[in-house]
Amino acid sequence: MTIYHAGDDSQARPYIDPTPLPDSIPKVQEIGTSSAPLKSAAFFIGAYCKDYNEDFMLCKQDAKGDPGACLKEGRKVTRCATDLINKMRENCLETFDKHWQCLELHNQEYYACRKDERALNKCMFEKLGLTKTIPGSPKGQTPIHDVAKPIYTTVQR
Amino acid sequence: MPLPWEALIPFGLLTTMFAAAGTLLNTSKMAQNQGKRPRHNLDAWDDMMMDRDRRLTGHIRGQKSDTTPPPGFETSSKWYTESVE
Repeated sequence: MTIYHAGDDSQARPYIDPTPLPDSIPKVQEIGTSSAPLKSAAFFIGAYCKDYNEDFMLCKQDAKGDPGACLKEGRKVTRCATDLINKMRENCLETFDKHWQCLELHNQEYYACRKDERALNKCMFEKLGLTKTIPGSPKGQTPIHDVAKPIYTTVQR
Repeated sequence: MPLPWEALIPFGLLTTMFAAAGTLLNTSKMAQNQGKRPRHNLDAWDDMMMDRDRRLTGHIRGQKSDTTPPPGFETSSKWYTESVE
């Protein structure tokens, strides 16, 4: 496994990968969305791109460590996520912007931005029919983003 | 009973200095974070995402929601070419 290291900021020139993907591999535009909007959209990407994401993860499991085996599936994942973010921006730009800006001001923690999140969830359900479901959350309980009075908020009691 | 008013002078000085130090540190931190509160509790994933934000927007706290990456974004990551430790 490759371990992430913080970039060496002392370098004068920005780093350019000397070994980019060869031209024989079809190009796909990378997602240019930064971390806070991605985090805001995360559960909708999970709902909208479920099939592609699961396809990719199953492919990775079968590939047994071959990094080139799942490039096709990976491109589909990228395209699907780009598609969803574009749709979100077309349909729910206002609530989307509000939520990710709130996340960015609160250390990108969901619990601090439930109000904006509910507005976004509502808009996403009405316009695109996507709901936020937290995988692995206990059955029969209200999911944490819908709890009216959660115990842990930004105000300590 | 005479009020020891002279004790209030160092008290006022101390309060002012603590406030000045705190305000300066806060201003400096906010200025380094584009006017937002600094991130905390960061793990390797957050560091990686912040470096990605830097590649996308030019600053580790910069954010943008449109899906078009800047030119050269595909080849500006050193993640793949770093040695395994």
